[in-house]
Amino acid sequence: MILQAIVNGILFGSVYAMIGIGFSLVWGVMNIVNLAHGSFIMIGAYLSFTLYAAYRIDPFLSIPLVMAALFLLAYGVQYFLINRVVRGPSFVTLTFTFGLQILIANLCLLIWTADYKSVKLPYSSAGLELGGLVIPLVRFGIFGVAVLVTFLFYLFMRKTKVGIAINATALNFEGARTVGVDVDKIYAITYAVSAALAAAAGALISPIMSINPFTGGALVGKAFVISILGGLGSTVGALVGGLTLGLVETIGTAIFPSAIQDFLGFAVLVLVLVLRPQGLLGKRFY
Amino acid sequence: MQNTYRKSTFVWAGIGALLLVSFPFLVTGFWVRLLTQIFMFAALASALNIISGFTGYAAFGNMIFFGLGAYTTAILMTKAHLPFVVAFPASGVMAVLLAIVLGLLLLRLRGHYFALGSLGAMEAFRQIVDLWTGLTGGSQGITVPAFPGKPFVVNTFFYFAMLGMVILVVAFVSKLDKNRLGYAFKAIRADEEAANVMGIDTTRYKIISWSLSALFTGLIGSVYAYWFSYIDPPTVFNVMWVVNMFVIILIGGMGTVFGPVVGAVILETVSELVWSKFINLHLGILGTIIILAVLFMPRGVLHLDWKTLLTRRVPATAGAAGGGSPNKPDEAWTSRRKEGRDV
Repeated sequence: MILQAIVNGILFGSVYAMIGIGFSLVWGVMNIVNLAHGSFIMIGAYLSFTLYAAYRIDPFLSIPLVMAALFLLAYGVQYFLINRVVRGPSFVTLTFTFGLQILIANLCLLIWTADYKSVKLPYSSAGLELGGLVIPLVRFGIFGVAVLVTFLFYLFMRKTKVGIAINATALNFEGARTVGVDVDKIYAITYAVSAALAAAAGALISPIMSINPFTGGALVGKAFVISILGGLGSTVGALVGGLTLGLVETIGTAIFPSAIQDFLGFAVLVLVLVLRPQGLLGKRFY
Repeated sequence: MQNTYRKSTFVWAGIGALLLVSFPFLVTGFWVRLLTQIFMFAALASALNIISGFTGYAAFGNMIFFGLGAYTTAILMTKAHLPFVVAFPASGVMAVLLAIVLGLLLLRLRGHYFALGSLGAMEAFRQIVDLWTGLTGGSQGITVPAFPGKPFVVNTFFYFAMLGMVILVVAFVSKLDKNRLGYAFKAIRADEEAANVMGIDTTRYKIISWSLSALFTGLIGSVYAYWFSYIDPPTVFNVMWVVNMFVIILIGGMGTVFGPVVGAVILETVSELVWSKFINLHLGILGTIIILAVLFMPRGVLHLDWKTLLTRRVPATAGAAGGGSPNKPDEAWTSRRKEGRDV
């Protein structure tokens, strides 16, 4: 029972990790807590749902498409809108991204209605059995893709010129500008990459989670918890945070009565903030 | 600026006061209730302005004090059968006590960490209220004894009660704007380290600031509970209300005395006129208002700089004047904006 919970926790934790990495990237680089991050995940899931419903494109195959769409959308939002207030007080950017979140929620409500939607794959019940443990094929696929995307992101941040420029901007944006980095563009790329990761996460959860226009708000809370657990500015930290949340959720569901789970979640969040605001593995940059 | 007040200012103020007093006797119950609601948001936003606008701490969980005040009043009136005049001050006291405890824990955090830490505290508190069914009625809520009298009497009473709260908070904040305590708060907002070096006990002042904000918020919550005579956790610990308050402050101008009042009148009037017509668009409209308000008047209508409104680009792109270390975008932003305005 517990072992199965651990396996499920790790498999789903990989998606949480992806969500956390995108969220903490924007936070670490631009000091913006992006309350619209959950909405990007939601749009990703909706797009993948629509592509499956209309053209029978498997969610696993539509991931690059969905990522590209969100990349472009977020690039525009950051370049034309958020860049104007990016150095504002924290509550200005918080309020702005909240406005964006409810605007997106309303648009999704108009396009996809309030009904819960999810992708029903023909192979959703297939699974691997290992001595009493069940590893569902879909969840295993999700795990594999999430790990792959996370690894690609890691390489992007470490090995490409743009990734290094993002690091430099996070560390000192004036210094970065002095050596010729176009900070505006880098901010837009950062936001776009974060949204693309969110979109991939959305496409991945579409076969296993039902979504409605208000899922975005709940997901952003989780993104925040993951970032706080793992600390800002480290891919590995977000990975640890994501896996931790996945495990805590699945094991918690098995142990604690559901009535006090929400309370425990928030209480742990406040405690971690008070005791270790830099997170478990926090540092300055990627 | 004292000498710029002219005779006409007083005449207008007199007319305004007369109108406010005579309103409940001139218009229908609907408008009286709408105005009462506008007053409530104006007072709540002004109270939030003390910790967020003046001191620079974005208390996204400020509704925790509203809920505590409402529940204190409800419980004292139903379980202990105390009159409202006793429950009202008790609500304020409870809110202050909670603010001190929470402040000791959370005010060490900065920026987003404080914002979301306070939000987490509010959600945790809401869960406690939800689970403690013996005392609070849980998700069933509590029915508070209604104010006795005909609807007209009730409406008029709460109209003046909320108007009184607005006057109380705004009068307090206008004092704060000019005295040592207020200067200490503003110094903390501008640069906490510098304030500390200059001898301001920042921890103490931050807790005082949050306690004052909590005091007023708790008192307003108490009036709300008596006014609506039914409360439950989702309404009194509502995150959307905090967001509304921040939008009100943003529209009116953060850290200004009358900004929250102006913002509340604008936002609540717009939402009442627009939302009632487009039910399924109201979130989208509010979102658009928020985005436009943040983009075009981040310092509020009271500070609107019409000339540069459409040409301005804030900060990261605005040349070296962005100033400061990237760790302190807040101050860099504020100071740059001030430079821009004074030129």
